[in-house]
Amino acid sequence: MFHANYVAPSSLEELLSVLHHYGGEAKIIAGGTDLIPQMRLGKLAPRILVDPQRLPSHGITETSQSIGLGACLTHTQVINSTLMQRVYPALVDACHQIGGPPVRNRGTLMGNLANASPAADSALPLLVYDAQVVTASLDGEQVIPLREFYTGPGQTRLAVDEFICEIRVPKFSDQTKAVFLKLGNRKAMAIAVASIAVCLSLDELGQIYQARIALGSVAPTPVRAYHAEAILLSNGLNDEIIFAAANAAQQAASPISDLRASAGYRSKMVSVLTRRALQMISRGLSQDDANV
Amino acid sequence: MTDFSVIGKPTLAKRSHEIVTGQAHFCPDIHLPGSLVGKLLYPKFPCARITRLDVRSARKLPGVVTILTAADIPGENSYLYTLPADQPLLISDMVRYQGDMLAAVAAETEETAQAALEAIKVEYEPLAGVYDVIEAMQSGARQVWPDRGNIFDHLIINHGEIDAGFKQADIIIENTYYTPLVEHAFLETEGAVAYLDENGAMVVYSSCQAPHRDRIQIARALGMPENKVRVITPHIGGAFGGKDEAHVQIHAALLAQASGRPVRLIRSREESILTHVKRHPVIIRYRSGLTRDGKLIAVHAEAIGDTGPYLNAGRDVMNFVAATLTGPYFVPNARLEAYTVFTNNPICGAMRGYGIPQASFACEAQMDALARAIGMDPLEIRMLNGLETGMQVPTGVTIREGRGMKVCLQEAAHLSGWKEHTSEIHHPAPHLRRGWGMASIWFSIGMGRNIPDHATATLEMTLDGSLILQTGAADMGQGAHTVLAQIAAEAIGVKFDSVKVIVPDTDLTFDAGPSVASRQTFISGNAVLKAAQPIHEALLQTASDLSGLPVEILQLREGMVLAEGELLSLTMSELAIKAMEQNRRLHADGFYAMEYPEQLPPGSYPYAPSVFTFGTQVAQVLVDIETGQVTLEKLVAVQDAGKVINPGGARGQVEGGVIMGLGYALMEELLVDQGTTQNSNFGTYLIPTAKDIPGLMVKIMEIPEPYAPFGAKGLGEPPLTPTAPAILNAVVDAIGIPLFRIPLTPERILTAIETHALMNLQNGS
Amino acid sequence: MSEFELHLTINGVLHVIQAEPCLTLLDILRDKLNLTGTKEGCGVGDCGACVVLINGQAVNACLVLAAQAEGKQVITVEGLAQDGNLHPLQQAFAEKWAFQCGFCTPGMLMSCYALLLNNPDPTPEDIRDAITGNLCRCGTYQSVVEAVLSTVKVSRKASHD
Repeated sequence: MFHANYVAPSSLEELLSVLHHYGGEAKIIAGGTDLIPQMRLGKLAPRILVDPQRLPSHGITETSQSIGLGACLTHTQVINSTLMQRVYPALVDACHQIGGPPVRNRGTLMGNLANASPAADSALPLLVYDAQVVTASLDGEQVIPLREFYTGPGQTRLAVDEFICEIRVPKFSDQTKAVFLKLGNRKAMAIAVASIAVCLSLDELGQIYQARIALGSVAPTPVRAYHAEAILLSNGLNDEIIFAAANAAQQAASPISDLRASAGYRSKMVSVLTRRALQMISRGLSQDDANV
Repeated sequence: MTDFSVIGKPTLAKRSHEIVTGQAHFCPDIHLPGSLVGKLLYPKFPCARITRLDVRSARKLPGVVTILTAADIPGENSYLYTLPADQPLLISDMVRYQGDMLAAVAAETEETAQAALEAIKVEYEPLAGVYDVIEAMQSGARQVWPDRGNIFDHLIINHGEIDAGFKQADIIIENTYYTPLVEHAFLETEGAVAYLDENGAMVVYSSCQAPHRDRIQIARALGMPENKVRVITPHIGGAFGGKDEAHVQIHAALLAQASGRPVRLIRSREESILTHVKRHPVIIRYRSGLTRDGKLIAVHAEAIGDTGPYLNAGRDVMNFVAATLTGPYFVPNARLEAYTVFTNNPICGAMRGYGIPQASFACEAQMDALARAIGMDPLEIRMLNGLETGMQVPTGVTIREGRGMKVCLQEAAHLSGWKEHTSEIHHPAPHLRRGWGMASIWFSIGMGRNIPDHATATLEMTLDGSLILQTGAADMGQGAHTVLAQIAAEAIGVKFDSVKVIVPDTDLTFDAGPSVASRQTFISGNAVLKAAQPIHEALLQTASDLSGLPVEILQLREGMVLAEGELLSLTMSELAIKAMEQNRRLHADGFYAMEYPEQLPPGSYPYAPSVFTFGTQVAQVLVDIETGQVTLEKLVAVQDAGKVINPGGARGQVEGGVIMGLGYALMEELLVDQGTTQNSNFGTYLIPTAKDIPGLMVKIMEIPEPYAPFGAKGLGEPPLTPTAPAILNAVVDAIGIPLFRIPLTPERILTAIETHALMNLQNGS
Repeated sequence: MSEFELHLTINGVLHVIQAEPCLTLLDILRDKLNLTGTKEGCGVGDCGACVVLINGQAVNACLVLAAQAEGKQVITVEGLAQDGNLHPLQQAFAEKWAFQCGFCTPGMLMSCYALLLNNPDPTPEDIRDAITGNLCRCGTYQSVVEAVLSTVKVSRKASHD
């Protein structure tokens, strides 16, 4: 059991004032799927829980350039959105592999990012879709590229009085393909042992003009594999390039050994997952086809 | 073929209405006015001397009603499952494992109880513990106990001439197998609610498997006469052996006694995983001698069980390992050894299978190793060596009914299409390998010879012709109450729905023994039959009097009276009233003890069981050789039940056993570092979800067992045992590399693949 | 710690409760409203024994602050039967032996109920997906799938008749 006060502000200004007033002793509680277990185990003891669910809901908004994922958007809402299925299928895949339906119905994208687990499934597609985190505080709005958002294990650039009010994802051309793959010790309800998202844009000749690779559970934070991306750029997806990129991605990882797997195993899996993700894109396959 | 009216028919489970409506009360649901919250204090170290334990300031906290330490226990400060009793209810000087209990607290609220725990002042001198079972066995090893060695017991079962046997062998294969420390993971944690009633009797609702044994232990600890203690089982949310020995019910009763108020004590999930008994991790060195044509000639197997610091079921479990190590095969020469070893690791005790899963794992993995060594089909080597009726096994027992072994084996082979596996689909993709594996098991029913193994059941027919069955057999979900009600209904001749079951209540129901060893169908079932017989006779006699027809042509069936198949216009109620008027008793109890009519030859294992059930499972797996991930694609489970009393219940036991076996094979392992469990929640200790199971094909064979009620023997544990070895054998078939350890985590598989490849490289192959 | 006044609609009935804000919905259901059908299996959202519906969606009640359920429609296992008649799902669970010890059953029923609200004609795979978050140690998954399928067949038949 834990003790905290609770408030559900009905305006952003009110929410930001509370955050500011309490300094680091306030915590946003959206879905509560990470926060409540941590409080129960005594890992966190905020004085007040601030619930954003009464804020005017923005849901999913669309402009010509980007799509905005509103503050309390749950994983289930992402999965059920035909827009998301069409435009960001890798994010839909990732959300679908988080926990089970009861967790997905409550857990929010925003909360998943803010919790900053290196194993966060939704963070990887968002990274390769080049998402930005739009935050608000009493000092105003900030736009932080997700690739700069994580500063350490469980740590982000969010200040204690800052609130994620939107995750903004750019739109891509039809030539953009993305894939999410995850390995766990059980077929469902498993924290990733190693995971990956890859997003590639290919021109009419099959040359890669945009490449992003994000790795999960193999570093203190979700990380981009920049060298692997560089190898892919301006090349076609052939076996040699795929192999080289997989090796480079493996170098970008710095996994640890823990209950779930050893560092050595995780490292090898980065190479395997990178290769498979790239092969899937190359063959135009879906996740189910790939038998992973 | 007898045409039964209730036996073998699909019926709803007794109390199903309560369960599906959420009205079923488990211990955490029992709210008594004025209840206190009970909590227990666990140690900070797995091995330490307690230099200070001071509860005085904690006692003064507002809302704290009672705090007990060892000194406050009026009676025996001991669990009493096994003698010599060595596990204190509350410790005072030595911590021997992470789940020892130092103090018991009862307070007004959860919060206050927690605060009390935190206010108790404890000082420890951490000690170096014994955490490696092999090291623990060496002379000069650190001792867990000052007055007894780490090797508590070393059982040896000898059969035939082992040395001569090995001399006759053309091939000798030796391998060592490893099974992990495993958690029961019942969904309802250990709990109890205790209160003193208006007569000063201690009433305890206990989530347990052995209510009468609980009664003894509670009475002895509280220093009360046994007849002043009453234990009742509410609904029990799973047990699987983990609630066989007492857990928190004695502590709840102590707190209720000391405080004079009702106390509810429920362990949190984390506490549960850290403290209650586990399945023994066992290392088995298995040496087999085989003749050139595939006949087993000699087995020398040695099993080492890490039992933690307290005996509990340790020796008994390891004895079962030894007694079943040769599997369902004829082995003329055997030496079977089991060591029960103390360490400061988590305490181990009863868990579904009681040693037989571990023994079966090693035996069946070894059978496939032998098959590979001589190039024989795994099916063929099992058929060649399979037990049959009349064969003698290493414990000295002669198999009474052995047809099940080969019947299940052949049926499983047939249903799984064993002979039709083609090579084309072995490699469905460059990174995938498909494989098939089988495992055959034998499983003993009952506790074994020379061990108390009996049950009593009571039946009463009321004047309207309905039946009341009183049973002390705990139903933890395995369906005992339903099965016993069906047996009663069939034996008397009434409808299943007219049977009311009075669930275990030591004031109302006689001792039926613990619900363990898959014994209740057999033993309580026979007790029910014994209770039914005089009632049935009285009813028939009364029917004869009323109808003027001879008893021989009369039959009672589903509440009707029949004469040579013709319905008479007599109701059960009329019979009951008339019987009462004639001073005929319509209530009786029946007592049955497992019978062992055959004498065993001198030198036999004194506790040998004689009732066996057989089963075979075939698994089809897909292995990703780049990630090591294993997917179970199909599983065929064939299990002999003797007679299926309830089809829905029987199928549930088989499916449930298979799923637990799947977990055992692929994902379950408690990771203990220097005596402290690292994965103590359901996020880190993984059990199968609905997505982990493939299509399961279940077939239950019915080969009647002698002495069993309607030929029916137990199903609670046996279906668990073939699954893990069948899966291991399938994985070995898929990747072509022998494996010796479960769980088959992806990392273990990958390591095996890489090590093998490396060895091939080094060997130039 | 100050108490809040909460207005919770559980199974169609409005309850006004004084409670500390950080109590979970599970705490309120079991301890304050004596609706003990919803169980606690782990307390941290790993097992699904506490699944209830909030506004038609399955959630782990142990992960919802009671205050977060303010003004929403909560349905628990006690709300499935109507006027003493079992819901078809409950009937099917009983007939198909889709439970053994029964402890996971309320949560399991609610996950299946939520599925049918959103998808009245699920495939076996859909059902397995829906109960992914419900751990059952007795191993009733296959029977649960069959039980749910049997209710679909019944309603499909009923709508054709």
